[in-house]
Amino acid sequence: MSENIIELKNLSFRYKDQKEGKALSDVNLTIDKGEFVLVMGPSGAGKSTMAKCLNGLVPRFNRGEYEGETIVNGNIAKDTNVSTMAKEIGLVFQDFESQLFSTNTKLEIAFGPENFQVPRDEIHKRILEMFELVDLKGMENRQPSTLSGGEKQRLAIGSVLSTYPKIVCMDEPTTDLDPLGKIGIFNIASKLHADEDFTLIIIEHETEESLNADRLILMQEGKILRDGKPRDVLREIEVMDNLGIMSLQIPKYFKEKFGVEKADLPLTPEEGVEQFTALGCAFDEQQYKQLLDADAKREESYGEELIHVEGLEHVYSNGNKALNGMDFSVRDGEFVAILGHNGSGKTTMVKHFNGLLTPTAGKVTVKGFDTTSTSIFEIGKHVGYVFQNPDHQIFSDTVYEEIAFSPKIRGCSEEEIDIRVKEALASVGMSGFEEEDPFSMTKGQRQRIAVASVLSARPEVIILDEPTTGLDYKEQKQMMDLVKKLNQQGHTIIMITHTMWVVSEYAHKVAVIKDGKMMMYGKTRDVFSKDEELAKSFLKTPHIVNMSNRLGQTILSVDELKRCTKEG
Amino acid sequence: MDMFLYLDNDTFLHRLDPRTKMLVMLASFVVALMFYSLPTLLGLTLVIVLYGMAGKTLGNLKRIRFILLMIALFSVVLWSLTYGGPTKILGPISTEGILYGIVIGMKFDIMIISGMIFLSSTKVEEISLGLVKLRLPYRGAFAFATAIRMVPMIVATSFTIAQAQKSRGLDLDSGNLLERAKKYVPLLIPTIISVIRGTNVFAMALESKGFGYSEDRTNYLQISIKKGDYAILFLALIVITVSTYFKFVVI
Repeated sequence: MSENIIELKNLSFRYKDQKEGKALSDVNLTIDKGEFVLVMGPSGAGKSTMAKCLNGLVPRFNRGEYEGETIVNGNIAKDTNVSTMAKEIGLVFQDFESQLFSTNTKLEIAFGPENFQVPRDEIHKRILEMFELVDLKGMENRQPSTLSGGEKQRLAIGSVLSTYPKIVCMDEPTTDLDPLGKIGIFNIASKLHADEDFTLIIIEHETEESLNADRLILMQEGKILRDGKPRDVLREIEVMDNLGIMSLQIPKYFKEKFGVEKADLPLTPEEGVEQFTALGCAFDEQQYKQLLDADAKREESYGEELIHVEGLEHVYSNGNKALNGMDFSVRDGEFVAILGHNGSGKTTMVKHFNGLLTPTAGKVTVKGFDTTSTSIFEIGKHVGYVFQNPDHQIFSDTVYEEIAFSPKIRGCSEEEIDIRVKEALASVGMSGFEEEDPFSMTKGQRQRIAVASVLSARPEVIILDEPTTGLDYKEQKQMMDLVKKLNQQGHTIIMITHTMWVVSEYAHKVAVIKDGKMMMYGKTRDVFSKDEELAKSFLKTPHIVNMSNRLGQTILSVDELKRCTKEG
Repeated sequence: MDMFLYLDNDTFLHRLDPRTKMLVMLASFVVALMFYSLPTLLGLTLVIVLYGMAGKTLGNLKRIRFILLMIALFSVVLWSLTYGGPTKILGPISTEGILYGIVIGMKFDIMIISGMIFLSSTKVEEISLGLVKLRLPYRGAFAFATAIRMVPMIVATSFTIAQAQKSRGLDLDSGNLLERAKKYVPLLIPTIISVIRGTNVFAMALESKGFGYSEDRTNYLQISIKKGDYAILFLALIVITVSTYFKFVVI
């Protein structure tokens, strides 16, 4: 026996300032009590809008044309106050910084129940319960600002659950988190799902984690494209590829290589290994050797040493030791990915490469210049730094001015500036956007503008801090193809990232950092062959790499595996 | 980097009721604004600093020592040049002018120090609860407390943004005043944009947690006027009364 707890009837919505189309168009959906539903889709598919409809933020907070009906546990959402809906449904947002506003973690959790006039003793009981549930025991009196990203997001979830809603909807809760933080959120999700009365809706990008849900919904342009069991939906490789979200690598490989029937497609690395053996396949050793040779040849092709790090230590003014003796070097033409959980010291390390930070002990030289005695302005000519959030650097009214900023400040002539802007825009594939307003662009486009504005200084080395965070799969791929192109044109790339498939398909080399120390460093293929060692730093290889490791060789992408398979 | 002012200690000062601490702050403002005598202000400074020491809040004062010093210096320079006065030392500078500058600088610094001690020893939730107990509507009190909390967030954001722009070659340290002011545009706009984006989520999160569900709400945090509070309240009231008496009746 199941009962509908959520019902969307012919729901359409168009934001007040939306230029064309609708955010949601004629959506019909029912969700049963106790279900765990995952929603996926590219940016602009209407996922967040749908989530906001559930508790009435749309249309009561974000206004616009609203048609149809949203019924949540018998309440008509659009006719009910958001604060009243909060009793029925809790909403967790992607941006954990802005969701937390209390002085300590206990008060954060108490905030919701306080609003509903829950008696004080009962609030106290709930606080203890929430700390248990979201795994924050021992942090009862901490200030939220001192928590890690994953802990902040867990606290945000606790602060929503403390009002005892029967439904929780999380809007991309793991997007800004490191792998460890993601695991924490998925653990909470499975704990909540164990409660049969509890309905859970999560909007996600991570395809690999979606197998645990009861139901997977794919959205596109405000409509529901697919709705079914994850195992069925995930086998529809073409649909997902066309939609622009990442399809699972294992079924993709088996479909494209062998044309395996949809119903028989394996999904996980374990299932993949099984089918691989059942089909009587083996590795083509000759092809595999070619891959290794190509790796070795690339290794030899790098030029002079550009960045040299020796015994680097860094202690922040509050006494925190972020880096603990690090040796590192980057040669001309390399493409290095830096992995590690939040707070491991990745960002601290790369900020030494352009002089934003100087070593407390040890030495960093860039093209032979010691960073302690060279100004950041000087180093900036050689090393460009693209910050994680493009909104932290964009300020001009037009794209042209934004990109011209760097050459202008370095005293280039008008003609020179013009050449460089054109060149940078062409590099990021955005020629013709000169007169556009960067603020009205999508996040993927703003990220490109941010890269272009660093390129215009013509640096040899480009540092990118999580360039793919907050982008959907298609945008991620575009971004990374751009970075790859820049590398091929001769730029040396140093990239901080959490996205493992990006590393395996694009990076030449990988450095894994943990607690201010370099744990692993080497060619991507070598580092990714060590699943167990990576797990110690809370990192998981992509499915295809994992499957090939189980079979005894390390393959970095679906295409590589297709090439290296000897059919039985 | 920790940008928040509140220092989470358990001291006599932290245990005082926020209303008591508000009255003490008011008393220090009243005295600082009414008197121009150097000994009085010095005495007041001493009392305030001792009061702050009771709450182990002086660490925060260290963080703003540069600002305090600049205010004092600015005031001395400004007033010694413009005050006039009979005892000339050099050009327009007079002993009276310098003294007046010191006094005015101290007044400002005392008020900043007093406010800092209040914020270092009182949680924003306590401030808003205190205001509610003083019959301010909850929404107003919450807005006030939020404004206080926003400041360190904005500072932290602008810090990141400054780094991002420096990496692009922005040099904030050279040029004349006008040129330098212009250079802050690349910092200002992203800061404002980020804050607006942040507050948007903040507002949604608030409503999604039932903010404004009804006029009344429970308070998990409890505040009450205890013995120690009565003593301090009494002292603060005496200070206010006596100094007002001296200011308007005796002088």
